[in-house]
Amino acid sequence: MGILEVNQLFKRFGNHEVLSGFDMDVPEHSIFGFVGQNGAGKTTTMKIVLGLLKPDSGRVTVCGEKVTYGETKTNRNIGFLPDVPEFYGYMRPMEYLKLCGEITGLTKAKTKSKSEELLSLVGLKDEKKKISGFSRGMKQRLGIAQALLNEPKLLICDEPTSALDPIGRKEILDILLAVKGKTTVVFSTHILSDVERVCDRIAVLHKGKLALHGTLSEIKERHRHNGLVLEFGSAEEASLFENTEELKQPSISLSRDGNTVTALLTNHDMGGHFLLGVLSQKRIVPLKFAVMEPTLESLFMEVVQ
Amino acid sequence: MRNYSAFLKKEVLEYTKTYKLLIMLMVFAVFGITNPLMAKLLPEILRKLMTDGNIMTLPEATAYDAWTQFFKNATQMGLIVMVILFSGVLSSELSKGTLINMLTKGLSRTAVILSKYTCMVLVWTISIALCFALTYGYTVYLFPAGETANLIFSTFCLWLFGVFLLVVLLLSATLTKSNYGCLLITGAAAVVCMLVNIIPAAHRYNPISLATDNLGLISNSIAVSSLYCTILISCLLSLLFVFLSVLIFRKKQL
Repeated sequence: MGILEVNQLFKRFGNHEVLSGFDMDVPEHSIFGFVGQNGAGKTTTMKIVLGLLKPDSGRVTVCGEKVTYGETKTNRNIGFLPDVPEFYGYMRPMEYLKLCGEITGLTKAKTKSKSEELLSLVGLKDEKKKISGFSRGMKQRLGIAQALLNEPKLLICDEPTSALDPIGRKEILDILLAVKGKTTVVFSTHILSDVERVCDRIAVLHKGKLALHGTLSEIKERHRHNGLVLEFGSAEEASLFENTEELKQPSISLSRDGNTVTALLTNHDMGGHFLLGVLSQKRIVPLKFAVMEPTLESLFMEVVQ
Repeated sequence: MRNYSAFLKKEVLEYTKTYKLLIMLMVFAVFGITNPLMAKLLPEILRKLMTDGNIMTLPEATAYDAWTQFFKNATQMGLIVMVILFSGVLSSELSKGTLINMLTKGLSRTAVILSKYTCMVLVWTISIALCFALTYGYTVYLFPAGETANLIFSTFCLWLFGVFLLVVLLLSATLTKSNYGCLLITGAAAVVCMLVNIIPAAHRYNPISLATDNLGLISNSIAVSSLYCTILISCLLSLLFVFLSVLIFRKKQL
């Protein structure tokens, strides 16, 4: 049983159906990458999980408990980091965490020790400024600290790295990796390199449905293609190769981007040697000839198109 | 309950640190000081301005004039300043997203509404009390002879109207997303109350009478008992509106 289960979730805003029967299952102690384009419905799904939005139909359970819209008890197991976390600007980090501790029902001593621990984890321990003077990255880090305050079983982060510079992104990802043992992390993003760096499982949301899911290696294995990438020295060579008669058959699909041609071969008997034959026949020497490894990006593009 | 007191503390801190409390207190303090002064000085100023040609006899200013100023300023400018200042009570937190963090920490939505309302009433009470105290002090000083009837009761009516207006504001805030929407609905509600007051029969049941009958009360031309019904209705409506605000906010999509 997963820590977060989403079954047949439907949600529409006016005429626009955002979620149309979305399913997701997040096992415990994983870092779960929740991937989708902008506007795919990632934030909507998260808000439904948090009981902030009402689904048209469908069922969400957190730690086996059903999420009800409005006031939901399941939130006590969840820590949430919004995409652009906003705090009361007139407070200092410690004051803010104290307020969070009071609301979530921790004792004073516990709040204090936990706050100090978390602030040092996110690198804001010696920050005495008011929150209004914080940079985006600092707010994001404070956001993680507040989300982890009540030791949630599930940490949900909505695009935690999207608006940050490379260093800020690395810091956030490192923090997520650091908390992995204690809590399950679900984080939505459209930055695929982040997913490859920290996630062990992913789910791709597309057109309101689950388009792809599983562990990264599983998915890559499943989607391994017989693909080759050829880079040419000039556009003429590239178009000469692209327009070769022998390559115009259903089992080969070519796509060209500048001087680079990507060939996908669906027929397993036909390998790279076939293309090499074509090249030598046309007397073209490519700059690069490489076997294509499925990247998350290529998988994502494939699913989304 | 724990949620309520924690969030109320935060609300109080917010009003202090964002200078909202200071603005309210300053506005009402200025009114409090100027009310008796204006009553005292206005006839003098007019006398100075008048040329010998047109002689007009001006009555001597009394404590009643000072209190006239008090009820005029507090009901007009004072209430307007208050409504504008509080119009972002929910919308600012919702549009910025500061409330989302709190709600996902398990803060109950009922506690949000109740603590926000409590804090607004608190600020209003302190402001009107300050204004009253200053006006009272200066009036006693400037017009030692004056004696005014039903002063406390009349001020209580005004205070109760403020409390009622704040709950209307709160309900509007739960119904709309922006502070302008909130202002619009509150303004519309006030206008409707005023229009209803045109019908003499409705006067007894209309909460706005609490803010329009004050002068009648202190000059003894309106009997205290005639407002009992209005007070009861205002209290009941306030309770109903608080209840509705909680109900609506609990079901609001954020």
